[in-house]
Amino acid sequence: MNVKFTLAGATLAALLAGTAAQAQDVIGYITKSATNAGWMMINQGAADAAEEEGVKLVSVGPSFQGDLSSQLEVFENLVAQGAKAIGVAPVDSSGIAPAVNDAMSAGIPIIAIDTGVSGAEVTSFVATDNYAVAKEQGNAAAALVADGDAVIYVTGNQAQSTGQERRNGFVEAFSAARPNSEIVEVPTEWDSAQAQEGVEAILNARDDIKMVVNAWDGGTMGAKAALENLGYGAGDVKLVGFDGASDAIVAMDEGWVHADTAQMLYQMGYQGIKAAAAAARGEEVSPRIDTGYFLVTPETSAEYKKMIGME
Amino acid sequence: MTDTTHGQTLPSRSLQDRLISLVVRFFRAEWSGALLAIIVLGLAIEVATVDTMFFRPSNLMTILNNSAAIGVVAGGMTLIILTAGIDLSVGSVMGLTAALTGYVASFWGFPPFFAIMTGLGIGLAVGAFNGTLVAYFGMPAFIVTLAGLSIWRGTGHLTTNAQATPKLPEAFDYFGRFNPFTGLRNAYRADELDGFAKTLGGFVDANWLNFFRTFQMSMLIFIAFFIVLAVIIANTRYGRYVYAIGSNEPGARQAGINTRRYTLMTYMFGSFAAAFGALLFLGRAPYAKSDYGQMWELDAIAAVVIGGTSLFGGRGSLWGTFMGVILLKLINNGLTLAQLNTFWQMVVTGGIILVAVGIDIVRQSRDPEAVRKLLAAVGTFMAFLALMTPGAVWLRAKIALAEHGAASALREAGTTLAPGHTARLMDPAAIEASQAAVSANGLTTLVLTLVVLAAGVNIFRGSSVTSLALAAIFVAMIPVLALLGYHAATPFLVLGAVVLAASAFVFAIFERARAIGADE
Repeated sequence: MNVKFTLAGATLAALLAGTAAQAQDVIGYITKSATNAGWMMINQGAADAAEEEGVKLVSVGPSFQGDLSSQLEVFENLVAQGAKAIGVAPVDSSGIAPAVNDAMSAGIPIIAIDTGVSGAEVTSFVATDNYAVAKEQGNAAAALVADGDAVIYVTGNQAQSTGQERRNGFVEAFSAARPNSEIVEVPTEWDSAQAQEGVEAILNARDDIKMVVNAWDGGTMGAKAALENLGYGAGDVKLVGFDGASDAIVAMDEGWVHADTAQMLYQMGYQGIKAAAAAARGEEVSPRIDTGYFLVTPETSAEYKKMIGME
Repeated sequence: MTDTTHGQTLPSRSLQDRLISLVVRFFRAEWSGALLAIIVLGLAIEVATVDTMFFRPSNLMTILNNSAAIGVVAGGMTLIILTAGIDLSVGSVMGLTAALTGYVASFWGFPPFFAIMTGLGIGLAVGAFNGTLVAYFGMPAFIVTLAGLSIWRGTGHLTTNAQATPKLPEAFDYFGRFNPFTGLRNAYRADELDGFAKTLGGFVDANWLNFFRTFQMSMLIFIAFFIVLAVIIANTRYGRYVYAIGSNEPGARQAGINTRRYTLMTYMFGSFAAAFGALLFLGRAPYAKSDYGQMWELDAIAAVVIGGTSLFGGRGSLWGTFMGVILLKLINNGLTLAQLNTFWQMVVTGGIILVAVGIDIVRQSRDPEAVRKLLAAVGTFMAFLALMTPGAVWLRAKIALAEHGAASALREAGTTLAPGHTARLMDPAAIEASQAAVSANGLTTLVLTLVVLAAGVNIFRGSSVTSLALAAIFVAMIPVLALLGYHAATPFLVLGAVVLAASAFVFAIFERARAIGADE
């Protein structure tokens, strides 16, 4: 894995040297994942913004999600090699803080994308408010079941702020609206296979589950596979997603998924790099840019698909 | 049944002797550590969950179904480790073949049969590449496959753009979720059957939820794969050579075995198993994607080692790996059913692996003192868990009070508090509640701490008498703790007492086993 990063460091130097001649601002972009469907949408937004702004985007992603040490290394390389601004999606909110502090004090604007930095100032934080959206997800889910119905909640990584906020927001709003409903949790580290196995285990053990709510859409697809594995049809157990990933929207059209709180993923990358480019030019940037959310239901799915350019 | 040992027949044995020889025979098997861990953990989860969730056929079959893919990969890994090799690339190979199989089926319109052949072919080719470098170029397997871990993952992402394929053809279901009884049940429900078929259909329908629903191909293929592989290993020249190469490669070569060719074959088989595991995984997964199988190399190696196979090669068994895989999957399944806190799950998972491997090491040492120490250590651990029932409450309240004090001091010193600090400040009611928790749990915590310390001393300086005395203390603690409201401690104390009482008889059992010749 580290081989990849050493190579990335070497090519970075070459890239930065080459682009200096063209007098283009270099913006570093450190993503969390290059293979997760949701992250690919964010990355696409980032790339489009860079093209529009006429800046050179150097994007680096880890080979697996959650590797803090290699992210720190890439971060330091970018700072050392003179990036004008850096957009970063930290894999660990507090782990990245010292590196962010160093860069900020060296006068390099830092834009946190998707996940915030705790323990250090950033120029701007561009993200959906996970906690607020998760509460909306909880309300939408509560509307789909009666009070007293048992539901499963597939969590994200509980060692990360994104996973914690989504879980807490959902549990608070859902329990407030359906106080007698039991929430059975399936813990995962953002791995759809863990979601599938956990949901399968619980559905096997008890037949009173009415709905599976997921912290991200990889979990939604894993839960759908679990239902298929046990011979359930679309709608027998309701599914609620988070992210608005395209495969979950397809599943919604087939009748599996009943609600999905979509983050404006593309917007997150797009506005993040826009803000980074503006900060690099020395312009004032708002310290908190909320990219909002969209509640996708079978009624609103056509509108959502048009918005994200999905056929 | 009569038993012959030392060539002499022992016609009438007491029940006790027969039990002893049964125990000895059980622990002679490489897979005994894993199996024992499975049984104990299963019982613990059964106790922890309401209305028998764990030991119901449908749940056990679900565990088997979800063990299938990683199990097949671990089966391949077993052979490689038996030759004293290692393959760190299996997870990446699994991801690569899963992604490409799905890709050619979805986007190139390959008929399922050819798509599957493509996947298996890629597996063999990757194995030939790794194996050639190891066997013919003498490169260390660790390095070759560590490079492969990166190369094949990258290849998978590159060739498919790391995009998920749309829905897979239904033929893939035959490697996973396909249930041979679905057709019969549907026909019965549509009332199309008569005679014996109708009776059978009715039986299947009546037992659908608690048995037949989870009777799926994943499980059947998993078991069949291990049976076939075990027969091959036990009965063919190839199987014997695998062990020979692992225990003494130069010796095997001098004995005229073409070690290079058989090493190459083993690596090819390992990657083929990874590709086959990918097929089994696709049979249950929502789509095909190149990031499948991350960290599977570690899970596979863990399963092999838990199953009693030596990392130095030449010693071990396939059935141990089978148990090891099931133990790993059972931990996930059981701890999810028991709704244990995520972070505790991580700690408990590691603890169970240590215990399974510990049993294996003690088993090989054949030393009664080691067995006694292991049992005493387990007893101490149980005492610790019992201690944590009131202890965690006490400790949490103590820490909360201390942190409140520290944060207040910071504020008084005029420091601006970070959000994390302000969260630790408590209002008077909370302070009072914490103080009450400290005083209510203080004495019990102290007493149980002393019990844990005594149990700890007993590990190193124990005898039959001290062990029995401790077991008695454990039993005496049960009603006391239950009266104080710590019912959660009961199973730990019961298990601890049983283990400690057993440890008192270890020497006697060993002596008797020698006397009746059961330890040969």
